[in-house]
Amino acid sequence: MSGSAVPAALPPTVPFFSQTATFRALWPQVAGALAAIVDHGKYSHGPAVATFEEALAGWTGARYALGVSSGTDALVLLLRAAGLQPGDEVLVPAFSFVATATSIVLAGGRPRFCDIDPMTYALDPAGAARAVTSGTRMVMPAHLFCQMADMAGIAELARRYNLILVEDSAEAIGMRWGGVHAGLLGAGGVLSFFPTKTLGAIGDAGAVITNDRRVAETVEALRHHGRVGRTLDYFPGIANASVLCGMNAKMDDIQAAVLTAKLTRLPDDIAHRARLAQAYTDGLAGVSGVLRLPTLAARPVATEAVYYVYLVEVADRDGLVQHLARAGVGTEVYYPVPLHLQPCFADLGHRPGDFPNAEAACARAVALPMYADLTFDEVDAVCTAIRRFYRTDGRR
Amino acid sequence: MIPFFPPDLFADERQALLDLAYEIGTDATQRFILGERTARLEMALRDLLGATDVIACGSGTMALTMILHAVGVGPGDEVVVPAFGCAPLAATVANLGATPVFADVDRDTMVVDPDAVQSLITERTRALLPAHMFSVLADMPRLRYIATRYGIGLVEDSAVAQGGLLQGRPAGLWGDAGLYSFVQVKTFGTVGEGGVVVTSDAQLGRTIRMLRNHGQDGVTRFLHHRVGYNSRFDELLAGFQLRRLPTLGDRLARRAAIGAYYTDRFATLRDGEIQTPPAGTEGRCFYVYNLLAQRRDELRAHLRDRGVDTHLYYPMPLPRQPAFARYAQIGADWPNAESASRRSLALPVYPHLTDAEVEHIADAVCAFARVRQGATR
Repeated sequence: MSGSAVPAALPPTVPFFSQTATFRALWPQVAGALAAIVDHGKYSHGPAVATFEEALAGWTGARYALGVSSGTDALVLLLRAAGLQPGDEVLVPAFSFVATATSIVLAGGRPRFCDIDPMTYALDPAGAARAVTSGTRMVMPAHLFCQMADMAGIAELARRYNLILVEDSAEAIGMRWGGVHAGLLGAGGVLSFFPTKTLGAIGDAGAVITNDRRVAETVEALRHHGRVGRTLDYFPGIANASVLCGMNAKMDDIQAAVLTAKLTRLPDDIAHRARLAQAYTDGLAGVSGVLRLPTLAARPVATEAVYYVYLVEVADRDGLVQHLARAGVGTEVYYPVPLHLQPCFADLGHRPGDFPNAEAACARAVALPMYADLTFDEVDAVCTAIRRFYRTDGRR
Repeated sequence: MIPFFPPDLFADERQALLDLAYEIGTDATQRFILGERTARLEMALRDLLGATDVIACGSGTMALTMILHAVGVGPGDEVVVPAFGCAPLAATVANLGATPVFADVDRDTMVVDPDAVQSLITERTRALLPAHMFSVLADMPRLRYIATRYGIGLVEDSAVAQGGLLQGRPAGLWGDAGLYSFVQVKTFGTVGEGGVVVTSDAQLGRTIRMLRNHGQDGVTRFLHHRVGYNSRFDELLAGFQLRRLPTLGDRLARRAAIGAYYTDRFATLRDGEIQTPPAGTEGRCFYVYNLLAQRRDELRAHLRDRGVDTHLYYPMPLPRQPAFARYAQIGADWPNAESASRRSLALPVYPHLTDAEVEHIADAVCAFARVRQGATR
């Protein structure tokens, strides 16, 4: 036995995100798929993408699933395919990742910001109705963190004002509304496979999902330079004429292979995330500085939540973030600045106070570690560190 | 069949690619995008080129889009582009709300004609967008002179020209900014979609660094100074490119040697039936070896019968394509672009062709010309 002293309290190291254990477990399958890609020799827009698209369509129930380069590009493609015309306004929440709004600009339109429901962080249909103008053509809710927007209210809004409904469902894989997968309640939706997502690649990747054949065909052309005819797994298709001013938004086959492997574990991963979320909720109940825990809204239909992110609202958020960092716990602030106050949208002329719910969320929200590799011991360690912070600071 | 788009580009690197994927997938840093490998690749290319900045991004097309955006191209502007070339030349301009104005190309080299470009400059012209084609760099000294004289931007579509030099200056560094595409078949192709912006303009480089990652400054996350793009670079691709960079020069030299061999073999055929690209290496980069043939489709069938696959770049001039016809200048025509569309035929020129394959390809072309000459005598 060594007589040397072991440090009594090594800080727990809980990264904000890791998928190393998942990746190791899936490696035999991934390695086989990567070897097959090298043997076939098509590294983007190839057969591994087609295989993933088929699996994704089956998993989501979408009639069409189209692999693309990123969630952001998926949004641009979806907006254009769903009929956005230059100058059209799109209703979007003032609280989301910036791509919810910049994708509209990149597609030629203008974002029209609306406040959020403070419980779900998603577009509030009543606020959105007040924002409608004669130039408003679309509404695009974003489903953030663990649950979907009020799709009954938003669908009613779209009907009343004759708006095209598309969904920023980038974070929402596995979420369902009345049995329908997020993204499939209107003209179409998107998925992001950014590595930290519920279904994450090891690089940038995304998808458009839709049940609308016209939208799907347009996205198919737009993602490959507006070309029609065969292009998937067919290099000579680069000679096909362009019928639309398209982009290059092709998905990499290596990412598709990783995603196909991870998709087989997705139901288990989602179930594990739900148990981790319950452990957080149990561990943080009654802590004085914790102002709001994730709360699932009651809806008129059966819904399925997915804990992509476990987001809490807390007092002295920035102090807690620093405290957790010192304790070896990674966090992310989703999102520190609301979209209407971002410098890139200064030309829209918004001021602090325009969307109070969005601004309050930005001031208080923080995301805790939540991923398939995370253990219950790690959740306990995070909860303990949070409790310690609020206990030792007399201000609270 | 000798394929035109070879499927075995990276067959020798199979295990290396698997090892790299495992390393990145299980690395404790869990950094997959714009990480340390990407930074090292950018620095290595910057030093190799003598550029001020090299910015890795999602694709050559997105690189072009971001350069146009950064030089200020937007609604109401015109950009003079070649009438013959790849779709992004027109689509990137149009997607920014600007108007592509089509200039005819040189009848022999198929790069944009500087006189045609100059004649199309108006008060609305924001930038010129020449492109290097196949194995020939555009006349950048003259285009640089024209752009400077008119005080407009010069965006250099050097997507295909990595490795090319003109008057000692690398392709991509004649314009305000240029780019290289890394799609697998390019001279520095890789195992997915990617590209780089190259520039001597530090300010332009900083702007494009922000544009590629949602307008963030690289310091404060989730603060978005500009409406930007998601056009980033995966660590997996960066690791692969770092591995391939030391041997890029060898592959470029092999491409040039194959091109020189073809040109030499076909020199005796220059009776108007088959026309080769110019001889020499100044202002050249052998991404694609392109012939101009009067009976192009017959030559293509002849080669196919002899086990040689070819490709047609580009069967239709840009202003004739349905997507871009609405931008075409009324009453204009582009006779050299039309002629190129009818006559152009690309031969395999990738570096892992064996000498025997290269000879077979040359023999097959020569046999076609001899048969033709025999038939007319």
